[in-house]
Amino acid sequence: MFKREQIETAAFRIGYITLVVMLLLPLVIIISTSITESSYLSFPPKEISLQWYQKFLESDQWLTAMKNSLITSTGTMLLSTTLGVLAALGVEGSRGKLSTYLVPLVLLPLLIPAVVTAVTLLTFYSKLGIQQSYLGIILAHSLWATPLVFFIMQSVFARFDWSLRDAGLDLGASRIRAFWEVVLPGVRNGIFASMLIAFIISLQEFIMALFLSGFDTRTVPVLAYISLREILDPLVSVVSTVMIGAAVIIVIGASLAIGLNQLSKNL
Amino acid sequence: MSVKSSSGLFTRVGEILKDDSNRSSLLLLPVTVFELVFFVVPMLYLLRISLYEQTSQGAFKEGTWTLSTYADVITSGYIQDLMWFTFKFAIISTAISVAIGVFYAYAIWRAEQKLRMLLLFGVVLPLLTTLVVKLYAGVLLLSPGGAINEVLISTGIRSEPIQLMNNFLGVLIGQLYITVPYSVLAIYSVLSTMDWEIVEAARDLGANRVRSFYEVVLPEIVPGIAVASVISFAWGIGAYSSPAILGTARQTTFALEVESLMLSEFNWPAAAALSLIMLLVVLVSIIVLFRFLDSRGGETDYV
Repeated sequence: MFKREQIETAAFRIGYITLVVMLLLPLVIIISTSITESSYLSFPPKEISLQWYQKFLESDQWLTAMKNSLITSTGTMLLSTTLGVLAALGVEGSRGKLSTYLVPLVLLPLLIPAVVTAVTLLTFYSKLGIQQSYLGIILAHSLWATPLVFFIMQSVFARFDWSLRDAGLDLGASRIRAFWEVVLPGVRNGIFASMLIAFIISLQEFIMALFLSGFDTRTVPVLAYISLREILDPLVSVVSTVMIGAAVIIVIGASLAIGLNQLSKNL
Repeated sequence: MSVKSSSGLFTRVGEILKDDSNRSSLLLLPVTVFELVFFVVPMLYLLRISLYEQTSQGAFKEGTWTLSTYADVITSGYIQDLMWFTFKFAIISTAISVAIGVFYAYAIWRAEQKLRMLLLFGVVLPLLTTLVVKLYAGVLLLSPGGAINEVLISTGIRSEPIQLMNNFLGVLIGQLYITVPYSVLAIYSVLSTMDWEIVEAARDLGANRVRSFYEVVLPEIVPGIAVASVISFAWGIGAYSSPAILGTARQTTFALEVESLMLSEFNWPAAAALSLIMLLVVLVSIIVLFRFLDSRGGETDYV
C-alpha cells in the first residue's frame, strides 16, 4: 500500500512537470531562435547574434505593424475598460431586469468562433464604411476584452466594502465624490489589472484582426501569420519574442496588482 | 411607423430602468448600446445576407430573398464531410483538453506556494500569447527538421524524421496548445474554492486517492468542467489557425471554408449561411452539454 502511494505520487509529479515544460518550452525555443547567427532556423542556435533584432528595427513593414498594434490595443484598452468598469458597477448596484439579460449578452462574443464574429463585422463594416480602419479593429477586440474586464471588476467590486461608500454618502459626499474619493482608491489595482488584460487581449488577437485590417492597418500577429505562411525567417522569431516579452510584462504587472492567483481565477 | 415603434422601445427601456431602486442601471447603458450596435445588429445583418441570392459578380444580389443558399450548403457532400470532420475534431480536442485541464488544475490546487506560482505562470503566459506565436512554436518543434526530430535523430532513436505536422496529430497538438490554458483556469477557478479537508475526510474514511478524487473532487468541479468544455468546444468548432498552419487540405475546417468563401470566392451568402450554421452547432452543443451536466448533477445529489 505504501509503495503504491509512492508510485502514484511520482507519476503525478512527472505528469504535471511534463505538462508545464510542454507549455513553456516552445516559448523558450522561439526566444532562442531569435538570437541565431544563421539565416535559417536552427535549434539550439549555433552562434549567438543580435543581427535579426537589428534587421527588425530597420524594417518599415514590422515597425508599421508595431505602431498599428499599439494604436488598436490602446484603443481597445480605453473603450473596454470604460464599458466593463461601468457595467460591473451597474450590476453591483442593481438587481433589475437589464442586468440579468445583459450578462449573458456581454459573455456571448467570447463563445462565438472568432471567424464568425470576423465575417459578421466585415459585412457590417462594409455597410458602415469603416472596414480596414483602426476603429473597426478596436470595436471587434472590445467585444472580447469587455467581458474580461467586466468579470475582473465584478469580483473586485464584490470584495470591496461598500459600507465605506455609504459612510461617505452619510457624511454628505455626493455620489460622484464618494466614488472618486472612497471607491476608486480601493479598486484602483483591479482597474489597472483590467486595463492590462484588455490591452494584451487586443495585442495578441489575430483572427478578427486578419479579416478586419487592411494593408496599412495590419497588426503584428497578422503580419507574423502572413510571414509564417510564406517563409520561415528569424525575423518572425524576433517578433514572437517581443510578443512573448509583452505577455510576460503584462502577467507580472497584473499579478502585482491583484495577485497571480486572483488573476488566474478571473481570466 | 418608425416613430411609433421607437417610442415603444424607449418606453420599454424606461420601464426596465425604473425597475431599479437606484439609478445603477444607467451605468449599464453604454455597454448595452455597444453590444446592440456592434454585436446584435451585425448578427442580424449577417442573417439577412445569408438570405440574399448568390451571384457570380460581387458579394450578393440586392433586394432578393431565398433559402437556396442554406439548401446548397446543407446538401453539399463536400460541406457535409467538412462539418463532420470539424465536429469530430472539436469533440476529440475538447475531451483531451478537459482531461489535461482537470489533472493540471488539481496539481495547481495541491501545490505549495512557489510551485503553484510556476504552474499558474505556465498556463497564464501561453494564454496571453498570440495564437500565431504558439503555432509558430509548433512548427519549430514538430516540423521534419524541427527540435523534436533533431533530438530523436541525433540521439539515434530514429534514423528518419517522424511526420508530426501536416497531419491530424499536428493540428490536434496545435489546438491543445490553444485550449488547454483555458481549460486549466476554468477548472482551477472552481477547484480553488474547495477545502482540502473534505478530501482528507474521505481518505480517513478509507477511500484511496483515485476513489476520493472521483467521488469527492469530481462532482464539485462539474461547473468548471462545463465551462472548460464549452470554451474548448467552441474553439474546436471554430478552429482556424491550427489547421491552416499545422495541417493540410485534408484538415479543412468550417472556419477555413468560411474564409475561402468570403475572401477568395466573394460568395457572401454562402459564407454567412455557413457561419450561422457553425454558430448554431456551437450554441446547440452548449445547451445539450448543460442539460447533460444538469441531469448528471441531479443524480449525484441524491447518491
